[in-house]
Amino acid sequence: METDRLEIARLYHRFGFGPRPGEFKDALTNGLAATKNELLSVPAIDLGAAQIAEPNITNLGPRPDQKTSALIEFNIALRQQVKDLPLWWLDRMALSDHALTERMTWFWHGHWATAIGKLNFAYPMYLQNQTLRKYALGNFGEMATAMLNDGALQFWLDGGDNTVKAPNENLARELMELFVLGVNRYTETDVRELARALTGYQIERSSGKVTFNTKRFDPNVKTILGSTTTFNGTSATAHLVSQPDNAKFISERLWFRFISSLVELPSNNSLEKSFETRDITKLLAALTDSQILSNPSYSIVKAPVEWFVGVARYLKLTPSALKTPAQLLAYLDKLAQVPFSPPNVGGWPTDESWLSSASAQYRIQFAAWLIKQADLSALTAVAPNKRIAWLQDELGVLPFSNRTRLALDGVKSTPAQLLQLAICSPEYVVSA
Amino acid sequence: MDTLSRRKFLQLSGAAAVGAAAPLLTMEDIAQAASARPLPLGTPILIMVTLYGGNDGLNTVVPYTDPIYFSSRPDISYAPEKVLKLDEQLGLNPAMTGIKSLWDQKKVAIIRGVGYPKPDHSHFTSMAIWQSGAPVSRLNSGWLGRWVESQEIDPMLAISLGSVLPPLLAGEKRSGSSLPLGGLVIPTGTFAKDCQKLAKAASSDNKLMAAAATSMRTLFSVSNTVTPVLKLPAPVADDLPTANGGNAGGDSNLAQQLDVVAKLIAAGSPTRVWSVSLGGFDTHANEANAQAELLGTVSAALSRFSSQMKNTSRGKDIVTMVYSEFGRRVKGNASQGTDHGTAGPVFLIGDRVKGGFYGDQPSLSKLINGDLAVTTDFRDIYSAVLEDVLKTPSEQILTGWKSKGQYF
Repeated sequence: METDRLEIARLYHRFGFGPRPGEFKDALTNGLAATKNELLSVPAIDLGAAQIAEPNITNLGPRPDQKTSALIEFNIALRQQVKDLPLWWLDRMALSDHALTERMTWFWHGHWATAIGKLNFAYPMYLQNQTLRKYALGNFGEMATAMLNDGALQFWLDGGDNTVKAPNENLARELMELFVLGVNRYTETDVRELARALTGYQIERSSGKVTFNTKRFDPNVKTILGSTTTFNGTSATAHLVSQPDNAKFISERLWFRFISSLVELPSNNSLEKSFETRDITKLLAALTDSQILSNPSYSIVKAPVEWFVGVARYLKLTPSALKTPAQLLAYLDKLAQVPFSPPNVGGWPTDESWLSSASAQYRIQFAAWLIKQADLSALTAVAPNKRIAWLQDELGVLPFSNRTRLALDGVKSTPAQLLQLAICSPEYVVSA
Repeated sequence: MDTLSRRKFLQLSGAAAVGAAAPLLTMEDIAQAASARPLPLGTPILIMVTLYGGNDGLNTVVPYTDPIYFSSRPDISYAPEKVLKLDEQLGLNPAMTGIKSLWDQKKVAIIRGVGYPKPDHSHFTSMAIWQSGAPVSRLNSGWLGRWVESQEIDPMLAISLGSVLPPLLAGEKRSGSSLPLGGLVIPTGTFAKDCQKLAKAASSDNKLMAAAATSMRTLFSVSNTVTPVLKLPAPVADDLPTANGGNAGGDSNLAQQLDVVAKLIAAGSPTRVWSVSLGGFDTHANEANAQAELLGTVSAALSRFSSQMKNTSRGKDIVTMVYSEFGRRVKGNASQGTDHGTAGPVFLIGDRVKGGFYGDQPSLSKLINGDLAVTTDFRDIYSAVLEDVLKTPSEQILTGWKSKGQYF
């Protein structure tokens, strides 16, 4: 029962964004097997997600010339789109019935980490987000091919500057190091050769449209990871994905973000084999195996977005309807994690990086701000001396420590403060 | 200009400028806040400035007489008459006038060709190696985090600006603190007591839960000390030229970080290590303008900081170190930029520094796979900083490294 509680809590907090009211208690009743089965089966229609309208994010076209009235209108529209885009996604995360798809889209966003700042157009980022969602639980090879043709990613890594005349290595290096193989699983020569294979792409910045220009492409033979042929972007990417190191790397990345960034993936693991066909769902099934999920030493800190969405799901808050959404984005910015703005191509940091004194401060303020906008009647209806045990099951955490129990006991007659401390407690901030 | 934030590894807080709109505190307030246990006068203070993204060393300290420099990067080289000449071979990037002036006062050591064995071209691996200070054993802790652990427990000892703690200050069990630009605001009244209960250690805590509790504990102790100080105005830099109606410093995030540092140092904060940073140096494309703008920011912010501190009793105690995770490829690429390289210069700045050049300038004719050879191991600098600035034996912190540069 206790290991069931641990595993079910981990399924909710790591593979979703935390339970909605009553969900965790129901899951404990239904049992681990049923909970896992439900998690891994994507419903045909997600009614929660379906209620969110697509955002009004369109191709604004090239930036108008300076000093025209069109530029002012353009800037207003762009600013609105840049703000709407993360709010729309946060709504999906908070309101989807089946959270795994959004959770995996979120993972892939950190994996193929592209930031809107350099591109400075929302539309290509929106298209990239749809691509990541489409393949979130699908085939990694297909995802890699789609991302090679993704305008936002290509622009972000200077793909359009990479020509036969003189290659730019930015995309080639990150494709090997961060997206497909992992660092040190190739030589510097491989990077330079791959850069030649990735020449020829041109990107229209505002629409994210990627075209291929044979005049800029290097048609000569390249030697990449021991194979010599006239590689182009598509065949070179497929070649990388076919390497055994790709299965190893993606297994490591999922392990790092979902199981532990402190403990390395054991060498005799079942993950790599499960990913033989590059089927992401199969890899997730292996990752959620009880052998892994029941090990108490694999704890992980919730990143700020994960923590916020968890609270929003529990409090039934719609992110874009908060007063005001700009304040929401400001809080996430202070905690250093805003969707579509990863700090760099390596994605966001993990674990202890989120546990600074500064983030503790912002989390306390953020929690108070969210609770003020929530309906706490269910908690208020519980007798004060039963509230702590009740919250434990509502939030889906392991039993609170004596330390936390003592702190919560001091505020148990004030529901807002009780909840504020509970969601700022080490037991909630960390998925044990 | 959006490329400037391209590699902002640690997203800095967008908090409002500090120091504005707050009433002046009384002397009693200041005395209570920062002088309960002020840093003894004369204690050296280290400021680490991390340039994220890989700063192009050859366009920072320019070999302006070397024909290979000009033939390797025709699009992005600086003409001899443009550079700020340091000697007959080398000159600073034209944007670095502030640092040039400090160099003329013999307050700048430039260590050339700095790197580590088997250079790595990945931003993340290379920065991890620089910050860990352990290129061979690849520790997870930072070299200054290990220094924190060698000292008595004090959350004020090492402080990073921004809300995310850099690995540099992370130890195995204890770490430095972080401070957002706007300072820390803590709950007050009885609720504060309940929050502090949550900050206690619990026997059932695992490592990360213990870290979460510690962060809350540090929040209260650091906030109580720094909050009143941050309400003070920053020390004045009264000897800087005022051009075009503005201060030569300009307003950059780096300048804001250093403003907070200046206030806290002036107030006697018992902090011996500060960490600030600037990102955006990953100039694969259109490098010239982007890098010059960034170097100008660094130079102006540091010279302003130096002027601010000169008027305080701590000015002579400050040593600033500027570094990046690697230099860039000698040959330019087709997009008026450069790809990832290896060795680069490190700057040490301050009254305690013996100004001048150290280490050999890497040869442009003897490249290793298109990259500069490393002529100085960064551990020579770290050991000098640990021993001569932080007055701490360095060998254990640097996992057995024995050699030390003579820069002070």
